[in-house]
Amino acid sequence: MTAWKETVGGRRALTILRSRPFLTVAIVAAVWIVASFVSRGFGAYGHLRYLVELAAVIGLVAAGQTFVVIAGGIDLSVAAIVTVSAVSLPLLSWQADPTGLTAVLAVLALTTTIGLVNGLGVALLRVHPMIMTLAMATFLQGLLIIIAGGSAVTAENPLVRWIGNARPAGIPAGVLLWVAVSVIVLAAMHATSFGARLFAMGANPLAATLSGVPFASTTLAVYGISGFTSGLAGVLVLGMNGQGYVGIGDPYLLASIAAVVLGGTSILGGLGTYAGTIPGAILLVTITALITVVNASPGWRSILFGSLILGLLLLSGREQARR
Amino acid sequence: MATAPLLAARGVSKSFFGNPVLRDVSIALQPGRVHALLGENGAGKSTLINLLSGALRPDGGAIEVDGRPVWRMTPAYAQQAGIAVVQQELSLTASLSIAENIGLGAYPRRFGLLDYPELAVRARAACDLVGLREPLSVPVGHLSLGRRQMVEIAKALYRRPRVLILDEPTSSLSATETKVLTELLERLRGEGIAILYISHRLNEVMALCQHVTILKDGACTADRSLEGTDAGGLVRLMVGRDPGDLFPQWQASVSTANAISVRNFSAGLMRDVDLDIRTGEVLGIGGLVGQGQEDLLLGLYGAIPARTASATINGASSLPSGVPKANALGLAYVPADRKREGLHLIHSIITNMMLPAFARLPALKLRSRRAERETARGLAAQLGIKGDLDRPAQALSGGNQQKVALAKWMPHHPLALLLNDPTRGVDVETKREIYMMLRNFAAAGKAVVLLSSDTPELVHLCDRVAVVREGHIVAMLERGALSEEAIVSAAMGAEQRQVAA
Repeated sequence: MTAWKETVGGRRALTILRSRPFLTVAIVAAVWIVASFVSRGFGAYGHLRYLVELAAVIGLVAAGQTFVVIAGGIDLSVAAIVTVSAVSLPLLSWQADPTGLTAVLAVLALTTTIGLVNGLGVALLRVHPMIMTLAMATFLQGLLIIIAGGSAVTAENPLVRWIGNARPAGIPAGVLLWVAVSVIVLAAMHATSFGARLFAMGANPLAATLSGVPFASTTLAVYGISGFTSGLAGVLVLGMNGQGYVGIGDPYLLASIAAVVLGGTSILGGLGTYAGTIPGAILLVTITALITVVNASPGWRSILFGSLILGLLLLSGREQARR
Repeated sequence: MATAPLLAARGVSKSFFGNPVLRDVSIALQPGRVHALLGENGAGKSTLINLLSGALRPDGGAIEVDGRPVWRMTPAYAQQAGIAVVQQELSLTASLSIAENIGLGAYPRRFGLLDYPELAVRARAACDLVGLREPLSVPVGHLSLGRRQMVEIAKALYRRPRVLILDEPTSSLSATETKVLTELLERLRGEGIAILYISHRLNEVMALCQHVTILKDGACTADRSLEGTDAGGLVRLMVGRDPGDLFPQWQASVSTANAISVRNFSAGLMRDVDLDIRTGEVLGIGGLVGQGQEDLLLGLYGAIPARTASATINGASSLPSGVPKANALGLAYVPADRKREGLHLIHSIITNMMLPAFARLPALKLRSRRAERETARGLAAQLGIKGDLDRPAQALSGGNQQKVALAKWMPHHPLALLLNDPTRGVDVETKREIYMMLRNFAAAGKAVVLLSSDTPELVHLCDRVAVVREGHIVAMLERGALSEEAIVSAAMGAEQRQVAA
């Protein structure tokens, strides 16, 4: 009766069924099905498409965060970097380039550089990632207030507006962007030597170093990637929103870490996959939508959100004891 | 003997995870006598101390206090009975002051509150005994290692012990501090205190102690008066053992070409070392634990900063600037602490075996899982690692984990293998296999550097042995001159007949 479990295919199927990414996907599906019965309109195609579009921003921020967490660090500056991207883009408008591509590339180069500075602090100055990235976030917030002040800036960039609003073949451009990034991220994580080094560094940095893993350059790359994907998320959120303002990135700090952890990546590093972060991001957006449906006051919304995330983490199995 | 020993062990045995560490050992500490406890690393000295102080309970035999067996010896009971231990690893709290550390756990109280004035008086008295002049309010973290050791001793004296156990108290002391300690112990002996003294410095032992117990592989090989013995005799009692056929037949494969050659090399504790490592030889690194041997290997490997006047490493004319560079030069390193430094326990055996490959391949090169599996299968077959290679490395036994830590370098054909105590905690069969591998490696014209705390291993496996003491190579023993006695006496400086001054 259990003979199929003995076959290679059967064993592989079992592994997938028991994996955390699959579990997260199952939870998302269950929540969607139940919610669409309870609340009219929740299960409509347009609404679900909208949820995935929102999840794309979290998914992009969490892509870099997943790299950083797997390599044994954490990036607390992602929210500030999203804001930097969304606020500085409208300020860069070159008449010479009607597409707006140069401005976008310039902003992505800027956010990647910010990430690389984080990496320098962690790898060479040996500052703890939490301190380094938190200090960076505080620094950037101060800088943004000086540059942009309290006012919102409107984006006149055609490319940004296209990314935020176009729907080629009925699919939002932001979601397409997320799909493309996901494919690259998953390939880099699981199919390259670079990816293998990250897992080794996160699981045991000392053993990784003694095995010849180039610690400094890998750390630099990881935080650079996080800066890049956060910058990309900033471009997307600016396009969807039309305006950038200081504080626009704030929700994405907790959201990115929660998506990573809900997706089964160990917060201690060394174990995990972006394949779990993707449904993790969608699950987060779904929870937020459900809470809005409940029509609670903002205070209660926050309390519900926090409790639900804790509950889900307890449900899907806590960190197993290590070391 | 007329008086009953203050503290004694009668035929005690102890094993950890089925490995016997002590077998039927007896020791009796008499009042007014300094009793030396000698033995190589891993002979069971620390375990015996832990049994005497109640930190561990014996599997068999009994601990006696004042001639009466104690049913359940606990640290609390030991303290009550006046037994104080000065541990080798310091047990002080860096952020607390000298006085607070000395009184910790036995603070004087007044109306239920801590009586600081009384503590200061009593701590001062203990400090005066050991010659500590620092203000009592200085945090212990600000003191040098030697001064901390003195605080540790003052802490033991504060409890007014009847039995004082000192585990290598002088290993971090300066000559003056050692002299103060020696005089103090003489005085305490005169007051009728029983002292158990553990040290690797034989001249100290000869000068200070009256009686000696020697442990070897967990058994007692001598329990006698020190009168009429010399340092050489003690060394023979510590190492005399039958090596059996554990080691492969030794065959010369050494050439005259140097794989590694350094002049005035300094790294960590090592100072100004000249060393030539030849291709085709197994070079042993011996000495007591923690004399800088590990820094020698790590410095050559580029893992810690190192300086040198000149260096030639597999043709390159400088030390590697980092581990990746060292790997590129054909160096490979196998760490001592495989769980912490050698393996990724939560990752699969395959991933562990492939890590050096991931580290040196271009970062964005696509992996071939099929090729990885094939390579790992080949290594596993070659080294006799059985079972599913997708299991995490922590599922393997200690011996097999060590094999994985070694195997991961094999596909890269290193020219020089740096090994840090590769057989520590490894079963006999795996030891034999590792010895075979190392000899074959040397026979293939590669260089092997074997740092080992296991003296027989150095004698039977190596072409030459460099003995390290206090950051210097104090002896380079050629094959013909290799013996356990020669290594141990060089390691302890027994050939220098000077008294600790």
